[in-house]
Amino acid sequence: MLGFSARSISNILFWVTRKKWLILTFLLSLSFFYFPSPEGLSPSGHRTLIIVLVALILIVSESIPLPAIAILILIMQVLLGIDTSDGVASSFMSDAVFFIMGSLMLAVAIVSQGLDKRLALIVITLTGNKTWKIVVGFLSISAILSSFIGEHTVGAMMLPVALALIRNAGGESNKATNLSTILLFSIAYGCAIGSIGTPSGGGRNVIMIGYLAEFGMAKLSYLEWMKYAYPMLLIQIPFASLVLWFTFTPSQKIMDSSVRKLKVQVAKNGELTSNQILSIIIFILIFFGWVFLSPHIGLGIVALCGVFLYLSFGLIEWQQINRNTNWAIILLFGAAISLGIQMKQTGAALWVADHTLDYLLFLFQDYGAVRWFTSVVITGILTNLLSSAGSVAVLGPIVLDMGGDAVLTGIMTSIASSFSYLTVVASPTCMIIHSTGLISPSDYLKAGWKLFIISIVLLFLISNFYWPLIS
Amino acid sequence: MKILIAISSKEYSGPTLDFGMNISRVLKAKTTILDVGAKINELSQKDVSLANELMGTWDIDRPGVEVLEWAYSYLIKNNFIENIFDKENFSKKSIYKESSKRAEIYLQGQVLENINLILRNGDIVNELRDEVRTYSYDLTIIGGSGKRSLAHDFIQYIESSILIVNNFNLEKKYSILLAVDDSPGTEKAVKYGVRVAQAFNIKIDIITISKDGHFGEGYSKAVERTKKMMRRCNIETKIFRKVGDPVQNIVETAGENHIIIMGASTQSPITKFFIGSKPLNVIEKSNCPVLIVK
Repeated sequence: MLGFSARSISNILFWVTRKKWLILTFLLSLSFFYFPSPEGLSPSGHRTLIIVLVALILIVSESIPLPAIAILILIMQVLLGIDTSDGVASSFMSDAVFFIMGSLMLAVAIVSQGLDKRLALIVITLTGNKTWKIVVGFLSISAILSSFIGEHTVGAMMLPVALALIRNAGGESNKATNLSTILLFSIAYGCAIGSIGTPSGGGRNVIMIGYLAEFGMAKLSYLEWMKYAYPMLLIQIPFASLVLWFTFTPSQKIMDSSVRKLKVQVAKNGELTSNQILSIIIFILIFFGWVFLSPHIGLGIVALCGVFLYLSFGLIEWQQINRNTNWAIILLFGAAISLGIQMKQTGAALWVADHTLDYLLFLFQDYGAVRWFTSVVITGILTNLLSSAGSVAVLGPIVLDMGGDAVLTGIMTSIASSFSYLTVVASPTCMIIHSTGLISPSDYLKAGWKLFIISIVLLFLISNFYWPLIS
Repeated sequence: MKILIAISSKEYSGPTLDFGMNISRVLKAKTTILDVGAKINELSQKDVSLANELMGTWDIDRPGVEVLEWAYSYLIKNNFIENIFDKENFSKKSIYKESSKRAEIYLQGQVLENINLILRNGDIVNELRDEVRTYSYDLTIIGGSGKRSLAHDFIQYIESSILIVNNFNLEKKYSILLAVDDSPGTEKAVKYGVRVAQAFNIKIDIITISKDGHFGEGYSKAVERTKKMMRRCNIETKIFRKVGDPVQNIVETAGENHIIIMGASTQSPITKFFIGSKPLNVIEKSNCPVLIVK
C-alpha cells in the first residue's frame, strides 16, 4: 500500500495507537489557536492557556517523555510569541527550581548513608510489638520526617523496614495481606500528610512560596509556614491511623517475633559511623539554614549548600547523585513554573480565576466558598490525577488571582495538594508502595476516599477556626 | 529457535509454563521467561529505583524477582530443567544485569545456558513488542486474557508467532486442530503443528473450511500435502471438511479439548486494525489454547 511494506504500516499503526493523546493534543491546540480569543482574554493569554492544556494532557497521558514535555513548554512560549527566549530562560530558573534540584540531590545523599537501618531501630523501639502501635508509629514517623526531609526520601527509606517486618512476620513477602497493605499505606499516607508540614516537605510548597514572592503578594518564612500548616499535619495523623486500621484490619495483632528478628538484623550494623554522624549534622545545619537564612538567601540556595557539603565531605559521589536524580522533574517544574509566571503576566490566570468565580458562584452564592472549593477540592482532585507539584504549579497562579488573602489561599492549596490518597500516580510514595506488587490500584480508593473527605473537613475547620486566630 | 514465555503471577502462570516448556523442550529452543511488572510513571522512576537499591541492602529482592524464582523452581519441580544449585542459597541475593527498562536476573549459583530470566516494567504490549523485536524471538507464549483489546494488540504488533495459553489443563488429553487453507501461512502452521504434536504426543485433526461448499484446487492440495507430512512424521490424523463461517467452525470443532493452530492473517495491517481478523476472532471466541503462526 503506497509503497509501504506491511511491517512499516504495522509500525505506523503502533505509533499512532501509542501516541493517540499526542496527536489529539496537537489537533486540539491547533484548533484552539485559530479560535478567536474569548472576550477579556489577551491573545498572549489565550496562547498561554493553549500551552497549559497541551502540558496537562501530555503529563497525564504520558505519551511523550517528561523532559520532552518540559522542552515543548519552553519552545511553545517563544514560538507563540508569549515571551522572548531570554525572558523564558530567566523565568525557567528560580529559587523554587533550585530547591527542587537541591532536595532531589539531598534525597540521594541521605538515602545512601545507610541510615534506614538506624531509622528502623528507632521506629520499633518506639512502637513495641503491637501491630496497631507499629501502624501509628510508621504513619507518625513518616509524617514528621517527611515534613523536613521530603516525602520521596522518607518513602524510600521506610519501604525496606516495612518489607522486612512483613517478611519476618512469616507471610510471603510477595503476597498481599491486610498486614502488608496497612504497613505500606501507613508509609504512603504518612509521607503525604507530612509533606506540607514545612516548606521543605515538598517542592510544591516552595513553588507556592515562589509564586507569592514573584507576584509581590507576600514573603513567607519557614517558621510562618509551619505555624499555619503543622497543626493540620498533627491532627491528620490519628484520623489517618483510624481509617487505615478499620479499612485494612490485620489478623495479626502482635508482631513479636517479627520485631525481634528485625532488631537482630539491624543490630548487626553496630554503632553509627562517623560518616553517618556527619551527614546527620549536615542535615541539621541545612534545617537551621532553612529556618534562619532562607528569608535572606532562599530555600533553594540553602538546599544547594547542603548538596555542596555532602559532596565536599565525600559523603556521596557525583556519579551516584547524577544517576539517581530525576533530572526530568527538574526540567518539568522549571518549565511549569515559567508557564505559571506567564499565566500571571499575560492575564490568563486572572481570566480563568474570574470565570471560575462567576460560574461557581451559582452553586455557592459566596465568593469565599468558591475560592475555598477551588483551592481545596479542585486541587485535591487534580493532585490525584496529575501529581501534587504539577497541580500547584498550574493552579497556583489561578487561585492566587481569585482575591481574598493570598497567603491563606496559597497555603490551603498546597495543603490540599497533599491529599494524594486516591491513585497510584498521586505522589512518588504512592508509586513506591505500588511498585512492590503488594498494592493494587483499587486499594488506594478503599481507604483513600474516606481520608480524602476527612482531610477536606479538617482543613475547613482549621482554615476557619484556627487560622483567623494566628493571622 | 528462541521462545519467550511471558508470565504474570504464581496463581495463573503454571499452565503457561507447562505448555511453553514442553514445546521448548521438543524444539530444543533457547527460552526466556519474562515477567512484566507494574508500570512506573516517569515522575517517580528514580524514587522507585532508589527504594529498590535500598531493598538490596536489606537482602530483599526487587519486586518481580520472586515470580521468576517461583517459575524457576516450578521448572525444576516438573523436571523441565536440572536442579544444579544449593537450595539453601536459592531465594536471596539474586544478581541483576540491568539496563534502564530491562533487568536480567541471575539467581545465585545458577546459570543455565538455555534459560534466561528477564524482568521488565511497563505496559505489557510495549514491553513484549520491544523484547521480541530487540532479541528476535520466534515464538511468544502468553497466558490467556479476557481482554479483546489486549489480544488484538498482541496479534497486531508482536512480530513473532504467538501462542495464547487459554484454559489449558495438563491433566486433560488434547488434540491439535490444524486449520489448513491455500494461504502462505498454512505451510509454517503445519510445521508447528507437527512439533507441538510431538511435544505432547497427541494426534492432529486437520480442518479445512469453505464458505460456499466449493473446495478449490489450492485447498485440496494443501490438505493432501499436510496429510503426507503427518504420515511421514507418524502422527495420527483425522480430516474435517466444513462449510460455513470459518471462525465459528474452528471454535465449535475445537471445543475445550483442542489446541488450535493456524497461520496468521494475510490481510493488510490496516484492515486487521479496523475490522479484525480470523485469528483474532478465534482467540476471542475459543476456550482452548491457540497458536497463531507468523
